[in-house]
Amino acid sequence: MSLHALADHPFAAPRSLAEACALLAERAARGERTVLLAGGTDWIVEQHLAPAPAADAPLPLVADVSRLAELRGVAERGDAIRIGAGTTFLELRRDPLVTARLPLLAAAARDVGAIQIQARGTLAGNLATGSPAADGVAALGALDAVLELASVRGTRRVPIAAFYTGYRRNVLLPDELIAAVEVVPPAPGSPFAWRKVGTRQAQAISKVALAAVAELDRSEGPGARLTRLGLGMASVAPTVVFLPEVRALGLGRPLASIDDEALAAATLAGISPIDDVRSTASYRRHVAVALVRRFFESLRAPS
Amino acid sequence: MAPVVGQAVPRVDGPAKASGSARYVDDLTRPGMLFGATLRSPVPRGRLLGVDRDPSFDWSGVTVVTAADVPVNVVATIERDQPVLAAGEVRHVAEPIALVACEDRLRLERALAHLTPRIEPLPAVLTIGEALEARTAIHGADNVMKRYAITKGRGRDGLTGCEVVVTGRYETGAQEHVYIEPQGMLAWWEGDDAHVVGSLQCPYYVQKGIKTVFGLADDGVDVTQATTGGGFGGKEEYPTVVALHALLLARKSGRPVKLVYGRKEDVEATTKRHPSVVEITTGCDRDGTFRAFAARVVFDGGAYVTLTPVVLSRGALHATGPYRWDDVSVEALAVATNTPPNGAFRGFGAPQTQWAVERHVDRIARTLDLDPLDLRLRNLLRSGDTTATGQLLAESVGAQRCADEATWASGYRNRRGAGPVVAGRTARGVGVACFWHGAGFTGSGERYLKGRVAVDLLPGGQARIRTASTDIGQGTETVFRQIAADALGVPMASVDFAIPSTRVVPDSGPTVASRTVMVVGSIVEAAARELAERVGREAERSGSTRAEAHERLAGTPALATCEKQYEPPPGLAWDDATYTGDAYPVFGWGCDVAEVEVDLDTFETKVTGFWTAVDVGRAIHPVLCAGQVEGGTLQAIGWALTEKLVTRGGKVLNPRMTDYIVPTSLDAPPFTTLLVEEPYSRGPGGGAKGVGELPMDGGAPAIAAAVEHATSLVLDRLPLLPEDLFEASGAARSGGGPA
Ligand SMILES: Cc1cc2nc3c(=O)[nH]c(=O)nc-3n(C[C@H](O)[C@H](O)[C@H](O)COP(=O)(O)OP(=O)(O)OC[C@H]3O[C@@H](n4cnc5c(N)ncnc54)[C@H](O)[C@@H]3O)c2cc1C
Repeated sequence: MSLHALADHPFAAPRSLAEACALLAERAARGERTVLLAGGTDWIVEQHLAPAPAADAPLPLVADVSRLAELRGVAERGDAIRIGAGTTFLELRRDPLVTARLPLLAAAARDVGAIQIQARGTLAGNLATGSPAADGVAALGALDAVLELASVRGTRRVPIAAFYTGYRRNVLLPDELIAAVEVVPPAPGSPFAWRKVGTRQAQAISKVALAAVAELDRSEGPGARLTRLGLGMASVAPTVVFLPEVRALGLGRPLASIDDEALAAATLAGISPIDDVRSTASYRRHVAVALVRRFFESLRAPS
Repeated sequence: MAPVVGQAVPRVDGPAKASGSARYVDDLTRPGMLFGATLRSPVPRGRLLGVDRDPSFDWSGVTVVTAADVPVNVVATIERDQPVLAAGEVRHVAEPIALVACEDRLRLERALAHLTPRIEPLPAVLTIGEALEARTAIHGADNVMKRYAITKGRGRDGLTGCEVVVTGRYETGAQEHVYIEPQGMLAWWEGDDAHVVGSLQCPYYVQKGIKTVFGLADDGVDVTQATTGGGFGGKEEYPTVVALHALLLARKSGRPVKLVYGRKEDVEATTKRHPSVVEITTGCDRDGTFRAFAARVVFDGGAYVTLTPVVLSRGALHATGPYRWDDVSVEALAVATNTPPNGAFRGFGAPQTQWAVERHVDRIARTLDLDPLDLRLRNLLRSGDTTATGQLLAESVGAQRCADEATWASGYRNRRGAGPVVAGRTARGVGVACFWHGAGFTGSGERYLKGRVAVDLLPGGQARIRTASTDIGQGTETVFRQIAADALGVPMASVDFAIPSTRVVPDSGPTVASRTVMVVGSIVEAAARELAERVGREAERSGSTRAEAHERLAGTPALATCEKQYEPPPGLAWDDATYTGDAYPVFGWGCDVAEVEVDLDTFETKVTGFWTAVDVGRAIHPVLCAGQVEGGTLQAIGWALTEKLVTRGGKVLNPRMTDYIVPTSLDAPPFTTLLVEEPYSRGPGGGAKGVGELPMDGGAPAIAAAVEHATSLVLDRLPLLPEDLFEASGAARSGGGPA
């Protein structure tokens, strides 16, 4: 309802990353709030749901970063692929490098909202909002992405597993923005899974979603082992979780020796689902276990 | 002139809607217009002690209306129990208590936040169960709003001596309409005359409500429909409330006022499909021949009576399903709860009872180890049979043909016979449901209503239809033009459709009950035919061409217009006291076959195929008609699989499209839609019957049957969420570990 206050916000459109960082630094030093506006698909909805701000409440400056060239684009950088944080989900699902080398990310991008949301929503917005249901965060988590945080003080690199500190809370400082994410793509043809158990086929927030990648050493035949394993799971805890217990169980050991019970226990150790308006804790536990089990079944299946 | 009836002509309202030039109420403004908003009850029940204005807020330029400002504080529907604004007591969460208006919408929001109702909470009744227990009485001593009994033959006694007796209990939850455009009205006064324009189905219902509150005569009220973004019944009775609120604010402020709901407010405050509990006991022969049917139907009416008695009536009249029974007893009651009044919604009570009877027929099939289709075919109503009310089905009974066509097209027998198809961790199954839907008002409704339509000859070879039947997206404008064009013998482009406004169009009755094409369309046809005859006679008399005769008549006010009133078919007899006789002039019939795929780990159900055959009498516009069938079926699929209104303490917890889950186009199955035409001798265009509601009846039970076939899980309560299947499967009890 209080979209009616939107026009009253002060507004800026920095023309470069440096300008954006300078603006953030200035305002942070004065203790003033700044909202970076990327696609607006999270922030505008939040304003819509919030009560009207009091007439004398100071409104944050809205800084449009959606047009900053430095935040866009996908490029190879050594072993890694660097994705500008302002890249939209539509760009991701259409990008040749992403579809070829990071099919998991392309698959997740295809499942975000629907095409209208994909055309505006960005990775930066998804990461910064940090909803426990964020599809992009789950996929980037499975890929062990590293976030590049930029400010006038320079750039720092934070692994995604160290980025979140709680429900919609993260380590981003008031003068920082997310500039890019870097991902080391799995070996070509590596198995992956993207499974979003949502409320419907599109425009759905997940009840549980699993992103998973693995690299498999099959040289020992039946003793095939995982040499890389990454998982991200959405909507089962206050933040997206990366299931360290499952990773620990799965890595290094012969696949055939990992039984379903141990897998289930490791999955349950990594999640803490609740009953809410979308689903129940017990259903979520059941589905979480089933999705991880299915992923391991697919790994064991001879390819 | 080649006939246009039966042709899929372009939709007349299409270009304006597709291009964005159509004006919905939110697009309209008037000079000096204020925006309005509503202060609502946060509690389900309580004593309303007052409304406090925060003295620290600057109230200048803000208009506040409370019950004290309402001349006659009644929303006039069937009873007079619902106030326009709560006075003395609040009876449901989101009940309107006060109204606010001002020029600026942000200030309006702030003003609303500085207005606080002072309420002393009282114990509330929130479910059908609590209402029946009647430990707290909120309506009479027993909380019962309305009762009906239908008896045929020996009634319940018919169960005695039956070879096989089967009992079951079936439930449905509330359903929200989710019309694309929320409720909204723009109101202003010119002297003592009230004007409203807005989103609505039934202009004359709104007019009646306004007349009652402000003590106005017919010509003192002008109600005009704006382009309306869907209704599904949700804009049958509720727009009266919005119109009254806007008019009250306009009267007190002396300015035009626009009141448009947001989605959240709309979901929290407006009507829903009645939740239901239906208990059925049947008796049949061992070979599956149905003998006796006994049911107790309970609907949750919500806090005020509104249209509940009529909804309940239709529910009761459809409770037996489209089957032959020697003995019938239906006891139907509606109870009051402290929830927003439940109201009209596509199907109007019939989907609830047909959910119950179709699930019950599947239960009988299970008991007898018969194929559910065979059991249905054995008992489907045919021409010459009588219904529970003793109505002789004389014509246009397409039940059997629909069943044949849907099951043949879907390959139901092969799919069913092959058993559930399990591949990996998914299972596919098919299910079938048969259904019927009475077209037009129940019983003597049309006789009392006396719907009227006018058709005018205009200069330049043009004609115009004037009717209060609105186009709310379903295609009335187009279909009526088709009917009139053929009857007049002119091209469709020569026929105009007047904007429904109570100062321009006669009262054709409400746009409800699948009556628009069949009942009102037949008046359009009759009036247009009469004009065509007038033109013919005039041409003959004067020895001129028809075109010249048309111009002459068009210039003669006494001859240019033909206004006609509905003539109920002769011989129809209905007794309201005993609930016997001809409940409807005719019925639409249908059969749905659903195929679903259930994920055995996540219990997600995907509808992978849907075959529907519906007997519509005659499809005036095959594409629009199929559109009604597919849209209605998708609405039924939503009701079946995803649409659950989550409430706590009478408050809706998911009043947003994010969490109240209607299907998207990706959730729509591939449809095979078969329009069966068993013409109705009195239907327009060569025999059309109603189609709007029919497709809401079969989808849910067909899907539940398919889920049962796929998984062996028997679910008798809607919706069938994955969580419900999971609980029913027993996997829940195994502690979330590997299944
Ligand atoms: C209908 C609908 C459906 C949706 N469906 C899904 C879904 O299926 N899955 C899903 O995961 N999400 C979904 N979302 C949520 C949303 O679309 C995503 O989270 C999206 O990625 C947000 O990106 P944005 O660019 O629109 O963010 P914005 O709204 O522009 O910004 C969100 C937040 O991020 C901050 N921010 C933006 N850019 C930066 C930056 N460079 N550095 C630091 N902070 C920044 C903003 O200040 C703001 O706080 C849906 C939203 C809607 C409205």
